Amino acid sequence: MSLLRVIARHASRPWTRAFASESSPSFPSATGVYQVFDRAAKRKQRDRAASRDAGVGSRTVDYVRDEVADRMMERLLDIKRKFDTIVDLGSGPGHFSKLLEPEKTRKVLMIDSSEAMLNRDSDEEFEVELERVHADEENLLDVLPRNSQEAIVSCLSLHWVNDLPGVLVQIKEALKPDGLFLGAMFGGDTLFELRTALQLAEGDREGGISPHISPMTDTKDISNLLSRAGFTLLTVDIDEVCVGYPSMWELLEDLRDMGESNAVVGRRHFLHRDTLAAASAIYKELHGNEDGSVPATFQIIYMIGWKPSPNQPKALEPGSAQTNLKDVL
Amino acid sequence: MQTTKTSTTPLRQLALHSTTTCSSHATTYGKCILAAYTDIRKDSCKQEFEKFGQCLREAMKRKW
Repeated sequence: MSLLRVIARHASRPWTRAFASESSPSFPSATGVYQVFDRAAKRKQRDRAASRDAGVGSRTVDYVRDEVADRMMERLLDIKRKFDTIVDLGSGPGHFSKLLEPEKTRKVLMIDSSEAMLNRDSDEEFEVELERVHADEENLLDVLPRNSQEAIVSCLSLHWVNDLPGVLVQIKEALKPDGLFLGAMFGGDTLFELRTALQLAEGDREGGISPHISPMTDTKDISNLLSRAGFTLLTVDIDEVCVGYPSMWELLEDLRDMGESNAVVGRRHFLHRDTLAAASAIYKELHGNEDGSVPATFQIIYMIGWKPSPNQPKALEPGSAQTNLKDVL
Repeated sequence: MQTTKTSTTPLRQLALHSTTTCSSHATTYGKCILAAYTDIRKDSCKQEFEKFGQCLREAMKRKW
């Protein structure tokens, strides 16, 4: 997801103006995990998004996260258990946490790497006891001791994580046995309309393509990742949130206000205005609705996993059933 | 969602003109890409874009 930072007129060529995204270092030193995302740029984007106009723009674009938080809450309510503390990892201002009720948990611990985003709604009332921790999701075990948590949730925060398998392992490690992980993250089909429009525009105008939309996790990889991290009793399902916009431009502006601008390492620093205009035209022709608006799809992967525990219900051995399913149905 | 139509930053001007003033040229260009999208190469729709770009430059009263 890209762009929309207008940089100042280039001094030596006064007639040009570039539309630039946050600039990235060409390649940071790769230590250990392969770096796909520029975490520092992402933090900056989210800090800025939350602080711009005292958060007015940021609150206007809460619609995607609020909707997903709502659907995630339905899944939490299906779990008949009361928790002492729930950790909301990558909470933002608390889209999910503010829906929590005292019947479900005593306390919520919000963790986010963007301080401004974390404290955006700090004067709002929450129904349960609240603690905010400013920390990097990629180093979860720095703030949470091992075997300490009953439940960890993550609402749309894992798609900018470089080491997703590692973070899932850390989540499992931080959980007590029989602890719950409930998450929602953007899937690979998210913003495919914008992705294709930009690709075609760049192909036609400039003769090549570059990454503007982040590579998001494929749905079918998620259950593998969860079981590799050591979770059991997995539930993974997919859902879509489709939003209509007057045109591509409003979508881009909203993405920026969500703090979801492009943060892929090695991204281009700007988009030529010809390419942008071309993308807008292509978006409308290729994907536009009949009423003239354009759709944007957010694919959401919901996942539930449990940390193994000896007294947990387990799947029976295949072939050990006593009753024939045919007799029941 | 904020409306972008009233403001006057260059980017919003571009947004405005590409979707309203020059919308017919945008449609022609878009349709051309749509017809060729399985095999897009540089300047696949050069002529169509030139008209669209020309319209944008006139509407915005600037060159680039």
